[in-house]
Amino acid sequence: MRKILRWRGGLLLLAAFLFVFASRMDHVQAHKEKHTPEQLKAFQDVFMEQVRIGDLLFHGDGDTEKKFDVNLSKTGMACAMCHPFASDTHPHEFPKFQEQIQEFATLRDMINWCIENPNEGERIDVNGPAMKALEAYHYWSNKGSVLDPGKH
Amino acid sequence: MSDLERERREAQRELNKPDERPDPSLKITRRTFLHRSLVAGAVTGAATYGWFPLINTLNLAFGAQAPFSFAWISDTHLYPKTVNTRFVEKATRAVKEVQAMKPAADFLMFGGDLAQLADPVELRLGNDILKEITIKKHFIPGEHDWYLDMGKTWVSLFGNSPWTFEHKGVQFIGLDTVSRAPDYWSATKMSPKERMGHMATLDGSVAGPWAGVGSDQLQWLSKTLSPLSKDKPIVIFSHNPLYEYYPPWNFWVRDWRQVHEILKPYANVTNIHGHTHQVLYNEIGTMRSIGMLATSWPWPYAPQGVPQLTKPMIRANPGDYFDGVGWAKLNVTAAPKVEHEYMMWRKDVYAEAQVDSGTGDNDNQILRPRVADQMWPYK
Repeated sequence: MRKILRWRGGLLLLAAFLFVFASRMDHVQAHKEKHTPEQLKAFQDVFMEQVRIGDLLFHGDGDTEKKFDVNLSKTGMACAMCHPFASDTHPHEFPKFQEQIQEFATLRDMINWCIENPNEGERIDVNGPAMKALEAYHYWSNKGSVLDPGKH
Repeated sequence: MSDLERERREAQRELNKPDERPDPSLKITRRTFLHRSLVAGAVTGAATYGWFPLINTLNLAFGAQAPFSFAWISDTHLYPKTVNTRFVEKATRAVKEVQAMKPAADFLMFGGDLAQLADPVELRLGNDILKEITIKKHFIPGEHDWYLDMGKTWVSLFGNSPWTFEHKGVQFIGLDTVSRAPDYWSATKMSPKERMGHMATLDGSVAGPWAGVGSDQLQWLSKTLSPLSKDKPIVIFSHNPLYEYYPPWNFWVRDWRQVHEILKPYANVTNIHGHTHQVLYNEIGTMRSIGMLATSWPWPYAPQGVPQLTKPMIRANPGDYFDGVGWAKLNVTAAPKVEHEYMMWRKDVYAEAQVDSGTGDNDNQILRPRVADQMWPYK
C-alpha cells in the first residue's frame, strides 16, 4: 500500500513538474519573440537613417563625405546630377553583366565604377558604411520597381 | 483615377481638340536629318520601331524671305577650370563647330545654364568661350545662371529678357522662365550660396515649382503677339518646355495653360527649349515644342510624362562623356522649310530598339522624391 502511495506521489510530482515546465516552454524554446510596434518602428528608423545618409552622399553633401571619410567626386559633380531621384540606376536589375565594367557585377560594383570614372572620385569600401548607405538610398528610391536581375 | 490623371486628361481634351493641329502647311516629313551614318538605314528602322512622325525635320511652310540658319547651344553648366575641364572642353567644341558652319549661321541662340552655380567666375568663363562666335548672339538665362546674385552678373553680361525681333519673316521671342521662382529662401534666411545650391539640385524638394513665365511676362507676350497676323511664323525660345512634362524636375512651366491660351490663335508657333538635356518633341494644340541637347551631360527621361510624339534618344554610355550631348542647327530653306538637326557628338542619336532606348526602363522604374532635404537640420 505504502509502495503504491509512493508511486502515485512520485507520479503526481512528475506531472506537476511537467506542467510547470510546459507552461514555460515558450520562454525557453527557440521561437523568437513577437515583434512589437515599437521594435518595428526602431528597425524602420535605422533603415531610414541610412537612406538619409545615402541621399546626402548621392547628392554630393561635403559634410557627410567628410564624416565618412570618402571622396566621391573630384569634378564637382554629384551622382544625382546624372541620376535625379536615382533614376536610371536600376538597382532592381542587378546583379548582371555590366557593359562598362565588362564583367558580372553587383550594384555596389557599379556604384564604385561611377565614383571612379565619370566622377573621378576615390573608390569606397564595398562593405563600408558609405556604400551601405548609398545602396539603401538606391533601393529606397526605386522601391516598387519589379525585381528583374540580369536585365541589360 | 488620381487627381493628377484627371487634370491631365482635362488639359488634353482642352488643348488637343481633334480638329486642331499645327497649321496644315506645317508638314512633318519622314526625312530625317540625322548624322549621315544613320540616313541609309534609319528610316526603315524607325518605321519598324513604330515612331512616327520622325520629328527632327520640320517643314514650316511660311513666308521666310530668304534662306537662313541659326544655331542653338545650351546647358553648358560650366564649373571653374580648376574644378572641371570636361564641360569647358565640350562647350568649346560646340562653339568651334558653330563658328565653322558654312555657310555661317545668321545667329546663335544660347538657351541658358551657361554656368553651374551662377558664380561670376563661371559666367565670365562662358562669356569668354562664347566670344569665339563672331555672329550675332541672343541669350536667355537658365536657373543655374541666376540664383546666386539674382541675375545681376547675367544681365550685366548678356542683357535682359524677354525680348523679340523679326528676322527674314520669322518672329523670334526669347522668354525668361527661370527668374520668377516663388521665394523659398527668405523664411529660413538662406545665404545666396544655399539658395543657389537648392536651385541647382534638379531633384531637390526645397526650390519647388520655380519654372514659370509669370503674369507680367504673359502680359508682355500677349501684347507682343497681338499686332502679328495669325499665320505669322513664330519661334519662341525658352529654357524650360512650355508644357507639362515632369513638374518634379521642373520640366515644365507652372503657368503653361495660360501660355497656351495666349498662343492658341497663332497657327505657326514653334517652341525651342533647353533644360531637359535630351531629345524631345511634343505638339500642344497648334504649337510644336522641340527639346535640345545639352553640351554638358544627358539626363534620363522622366519616369512619366515623356511626350508620345518623342522619338527617344539612345541610352548614353556613362563612360563616354561625349555621348548623348551636343548642340543643334536649324536651317530655314527657301522651300520654305526648316530642317532641324541634332548635332550629337556620337554616331547614334535615336534608339531603334527598346533595349537601346532612353525610355527603355520606364515601364519598370518607380521613383521617389528625395528625403534628406526635407529633414531638419538639412533643410
